[in-house]
Amino acid sequence: MNSRFERALNCEPPDRIPFVPAIYEHKAWFVGETPSKVCRDQKLFTAALLAEYERVQPDVLTVGIDVYNVEPEAAGCNVVYYEGDNTSVPAIAPESVVFQGSEDIASLKMPDPQKDGRMPLNLEVAGNIMKLLGKEVPIRGALSGPFSLAAHLTGLENLFKLMFTHPDLVRELLGFACEVIKRYGEAFIELGCGVVVFDSQASSDLISPLLYREFALPRTRALIEHFHQLGVRNVPLIIGGNTTKMLDEYLETGANNVLCDVKADGKEFLHKCSAVRRAFRRNMDSTDFLTISSSDVHRRTLNCLEESGGYAGFILGTAILPYGTPLSLVVAIRSALQEYKRP
Amino acid sequence: MKELQDLAQLLEQGQSQKVLALTQQLVDSGMSPQTILNDGLIAGMAVVGEKMRNGEMYLPEVLQSAGAMKASLAILKPHLAREGAKPRGKILIGTVKGDMHDIGKNLVCIMLQGAGFEIVDIGLNVEPQKFVTAITEHTPEIVGLSAMLTTTMLNMKTTIEAIVAAGIRSKVKIIVGGAPVSQKFADEIGADGYSRDAVLAVDKVKQLIGHTS
Repeated sequence: MNSRFERALNCEPPDRIPFVPAIYEHKAWFVGETPSKVCRDQKLFTAALLAEYERVQPDVLTVGIDVYNVEPEAAGCNVVYYEGDNTSVPAIAPESVVFQGSEDIASLKMPDPQKDGRMPLNLEVAGNIMKLLGKEVPIRGALSGPFSLAAHLTGLENLFKLMFTHPDLVRELLGFACEVIKRYGEAFIELGCGVVVFDSQASSDLISPLLYREFALPRTRALIEHFHQLGVRNVPLIIGGNTTKMLDEYLETGANNVLCDVKADGKEFLHKCSAVRRAFRRNMDSTDFLTISSSDVHRRTLNCLEESGGYAGFILGTAILPYGTPLSLVVAIRSALQEYKRP
Repeated sequence: MKELQDLAQLLEQGQSQKVLALTQQLVDSGMSPQTILNDGLIAGMAVVGEKMRNGEMYLPEVLQSAGAMKASLAILKPHLAREGAKPRGKILIGTVKGDMHDIGKNLVCIMLQGAGFEIVDIGLNVEPQKFVTAITEHTPEIVGLSAMLTTTMLNMKTTIEAIVAAGIRSKVKIIVGGAPVSQKFADEIGADGYSRDAVLAVDKVKQLIGHTS
């Protein structure tokens, strides 16, 4: 088992800084197919994860391509898939929300992870990868966070409106979302996988720390606590965007690994996370990876690593790698990681 | 004027019912609808934009203000039409092909509408040819292209190429935006402008409209 990632999560100095690039739709590129095709085919999906591990050598593998779609789809929302050679990422059709605001939340469909949508497919892939690589590298199932799932079930703008007009209803919807995620997460855990929670719709790029505290935090904390009780100690919470303003709330969720995305303040994350011994993943910008040179990426990586300040809980990440990112850029990142000397 | 200041403040607070009532009261009092629009609603939304830029307001609160503005505009529109009032310019906007994200685009629409522009929102996952057809039909001064993903931002280039191929590129200014987009990328694909957020988009559009008029 690769203990480098685990050591960083425990804030114990690893042999080198772990590398956790954000590879979702780009997984499909490894097998020469589109994200829409790979996310619906367990053989291709498994092959894509194997190829990712072989070529990129990340310190953790995540089972997930279109990570925010799986739970809402299983709950009845429609996903738009793209046919032919269209490499766009599948997305929830905005008109297919299952909760308009007046329905009884108890009547919403509670997905069965073994039966509904692509939950069984994702679980099958996780099981395959656990058998093949489970002893070499940590494997984790991708889960939506409660706020993001609620946003997909009712539409983001509607959720924002309901927060003012029907706050109790929003809390109830978040409770439903939390239950959906618990069940899906439990199914990954039964396979021996870890879990990782994605909740970027709750970013402080969109909502205030006050609203996060009022609505998202209680359910997120309960979700993470639930996984802790099931023996899963490491529960990363990934919220993109500039989350510097809500870092206190973010840390209150109980997640032992939070994301410091490209636009967030690395110094502030280092200061606050090291004070409470929490790991954080610092993302470097990858939006221009289809046009940038290997030497630029190498330089960018070293700059990013400098931000670690020698903190044992520092993890190197990237923003989502674009579909088709040349392997030479990943090699450049790995080379910089080897070269970097921790202060 | 105090009533207009009150209207702007109520709008900023997102108090739809009170904005609605005060708008009606001002119209009934004989105040020019253009004055109500400019010195009440647009002034209020300018404060909303400024507060958003400073991190004092967030999207849910902005949506409350936008809802209040929309309600008020519904009262004002017939009066504005009778007065022959014209919007500051027409913007056609859409999320490019393959992209189903619309929150950024919608926010840009809110801020532009709040600044007095007419918006033609052609939705999300829009094929390049649909942009061409819509430009021909609506004759906007500005075309806004939105993309949230690194894969779909490349379709901004395809869309601009389709506009060029249709022979209508010189009739519009094109502005691009979205999480992965940058000024460098905007320059590379031949856009006229880039904005990193919805508030700055208003400034950029004003600048581009100034250039075209």
